[in-house]
Amino acid sequence: MVKIITDITRHGDLIRNLVARDLKIRYRGSILGFLWTILNPLFMAIIYIVFLRLLVGRGGGIIQNEDIIIGVFAWQFTMQCVNSGMNCVTGNASLVKKVYFPRIILPLAVNISALVNFLLTLVVQWVLVAILLMAKGAFLEPATLWVPLMSLYHLLFNFSLALLVAAANVYFRDTQHIVNLLMSAWFFMSPVMYPLSLVETVARAHPWIGQLYMLNPMTGIITGYRALQVPGVAFPWTAASIAGLLLPLVILVIAYIVFQRAQRYFSDLL
Amino acid sequence: MNVIEAKGLGKWYRKQGVGLPTLAGALPRWLSGGKADGFWALRDINFSVRQGQTVGVIGPNGSGKSSLLGLIAQTMVPTEGTVRSAGRISALLELGAGFHADLSGRENIFLNAAILGIPREDIRRRFDHIVDFAGLREFIDMPVKHYSSGMYVRLAFSVAVEMNPDILLIDEVLAVGDMAFQMKCLDRIRQFQKKGKTILFVSHALETVEEFCSDVLLIHEGRMIMQGNPSDVIFAYLKQYMVRIGLLNVEEHGTREIEMRSIRLLDEKGAETATFDSGSAMTIEIGYYARRRIAKPVFGFNIKTGNGFYVFGSNTQIAKVPIAAVEGAGRVRLRIAPLTLKQGRFFLSLAVHSWDHAVQYHRQEDLHPFLIRDVSGDKGVFQLNCAWEHQPTP
Repeated sequence: MVKIITDITRHGDLIRNLVARDLKIRYRGSILGFLWTILNPLFMAIIYIVFLRLLVGRGGGIIQNEDIIIGVFAWQFTMQCVNSGMNCVTGNASLVKKVYFPRIILPLAVNISALVNFLLTLVVQWVLVAILLMAKGAFLEPATLWVPLMSLYHLLFNFSLALLVAAANVYFRDTQHIVNLLMSAWFFMSPVMYPLSLVETVARAHPWIGQLYMLNPMTGIITGYRALQVPGVAFPWTAASIAGLLLPLVILVIAYIVFQRAQRYFSDLL
Repeated sequence: MNVIEAKGLGKWYRKQGVGLPTLAGALPRWLSGGKADGFWALRDINFSVRQGQTVGVIGPNGSGKSSLLGLIAQTMVPTEGTVRSAGRISALLELGAGFHADLSGRENIFLNAAILGIPREDIRRRFDHIVDFAGLREFIDMPVKHYSSGMYVRLAFSVAVEMNPDILLIDEVLAVGDMAFQMKCLDRIRQFQKKGKTILFVSHALETVEEFCSDVLLIHEGRMIMQGNPSDVIFAYLKQYMVRIGLLNVEEHGTREIEMRSIRLLDEKGAETATFDSGSAMTIEIGYYARRRIAKPVFGFNIKTGNGFYVFGSNTQIAKVPIAAVEGAGRVRLRIAPLTLKQGRFFLSLAVHSWDHAVQYHRQEDLHPFLIRDVSGDKGVFQLNCAWEHQPTP
C-alpha cells in the first residue's frame, strides 16, 4: 500500500496528463460532448420512470422519481469506471509494452476522469432532484453537501472493480462479454430502479436473502446517496449493511494484490 | 562501475495461438490439465555494462534482442535470473507510443513527455525549441491524425530527445525516417556519449554499431554467443549468421575435385577481419586442395552489394595469370588495393572451374560477407578517382 502512494506521487504528472487526455477526448469528440454524458443517465432514468409507472399503475408509485434519478446516475458512475477500466490496459498496449511506468496508473487515470465526469453530472442531478422535490414542497437534505465525499468512497469501490476487469481483460479478451452479463444481472440485484423497501418484504420472509442483499456494496452506496439527499429516506444501519459498506475496502486490497501480480505479465500477453 | 548487470537472465514465453487469449480458449486447457508449451526467448544471459559505455546488441531477427531491452527497461519481468540497473532508464523504443490521434501536436508533446518521464517544467521551457526542431510550428495546434507519417515521427523524436536519462536504450529507432532524420538521431547519440551516458543499442545497421559501440553483444536463438570488441563480434556474426538468412543466393556447389578449404580476408597488416576501410588494401587468401592433378584451373571472384547488385568480378583467366596445374594443397592470393568500395555491406563469391567453364569444381556464392567503413563524405558504391579544378574567367 505504501508503494501505491509513492507510485502515484512520483507519477503525478503522468496521471494528470492521462486524465486530461481522457477528458479532452470525451468532450471534444462530439459537439454535444459533455451533454451526452448527462443525456445518457437522464434518458435511462426517464425510461425507467415511464415504464415503472406503466407497470405498477398510477395508484401507488412504489418508487419516487428522484430516487430513480439518484440511483441511475450513481450506477452510471460505476458502469463508466468498469467499462473504461476494462480497456485501459489493452487499449494502451503499445505504451505498456514499450515504456515502464507503474501500470496501476492506467486504471487510476480513467477512474479519476470518470469521477470528474460524475461530479459534473452530479450538478445536473441535484438540479433535477431539487425540482422534483420542490414539486412536492420538499427540499434537498443539508447532508447533500456530503455527497462529493461519498462519491470518493464510491470511487474506491469502482477503482477496485476496474483493477480486476483491467487485469482479467489482458488475460482473457472475452472478459468484456462476461462482465457485460454480470453487470446487467447486478443492475437488478441493486436498488437502482426500486427502493430498498421492496426488498425488505422479501427479507422478512427469508432473512438470509436480506442479509446477502445488504452485503452488496452497491446497495449501501446507492441507499447512502439517497439518504444523504432525499428527506424521508433513512440508511438502514444493520450489521449486514455496515459490512456491505466496509466490504469495498476488503475488495480494494484484494483487487490491488491481484492487479499487481497480474501486471508483471502484461507485456508478455498484449 | 557497472550500471547494468544481468545474471543468468532468462525469459520464457507461452506459445500464443492465433487470435487473442480468451477464457473460452483457456478452459479446455485447464480442464485437461495440459501444460501450456512455450519457448525460451532468452536464456543464461550474463553480461555487465560499465558507466559511460555504448554497447551494441546484434543478432538475427527473433533472436531475443528486443526482449533483452524490455527486461532491462522493466516493461517485462524475467522468468529466471536477474537484471539490475543503476540510474534512470529511458527507452527510445517506439517513437510516438502514447500519441493520441485526436489531440493536437501541442497536447501530445506534453502527454508524451509525461509518459517518457520528462518533467513538465523542462518541456514548458524547451517547448519552442522542440517545435522548431520538429519543424512543425504552423501545424502544432492541429490534431496529429492529420499529420503525415514523417511529421508524426519528427514530433515524437523531438520530444524523445529531451529525455535526460542515465541509461538510454535504443531499439532500431534509426531504421525509420529519412537520411536527415537518421543523421539527427546519430548526432543526438553522440551528444549522449559526450555527457558520459550509458547507451544500449539494438540495431541491424552494423556499420553504425561498429562506429558507435565500444562493446558488442551477439545474441542468437536466445543465447549470448559472444561479447567483445565490435569488429570481432560483427565479424563472427557476419560469418556465421548473416549468410544463413539468405539475402542473396548463398550456396556452395561443384564437383569438389578442387576444393576451397579455407578462405581468409586479410587487412593491410595481414590480420583476418570482415571490416575494411575504404581505400585500404584487402587480400583474399584461398587455401585449396586438389584431389587429382588438374591442368589450367581458373580461380575467380565477384563482389555484390547486399541487395544483389553485381559490383565487380574477374578471374585468373581474364587477368591473364594462368595457373599451369594444381595437385594437392595450395594457396591462391588475390590482392585488391586500393579497395575502392564505399561504405556498406558486400558479399564475396569465389569459384574455381575448368579453363573452358565446362566443369565447376567448387563455387561459393555470396558466402563471404564483409563491411566497408568509409570516413570520407563521398557517396555511392564505388570510389571514382576524381579531381576538381576551378578557373575563374580572366
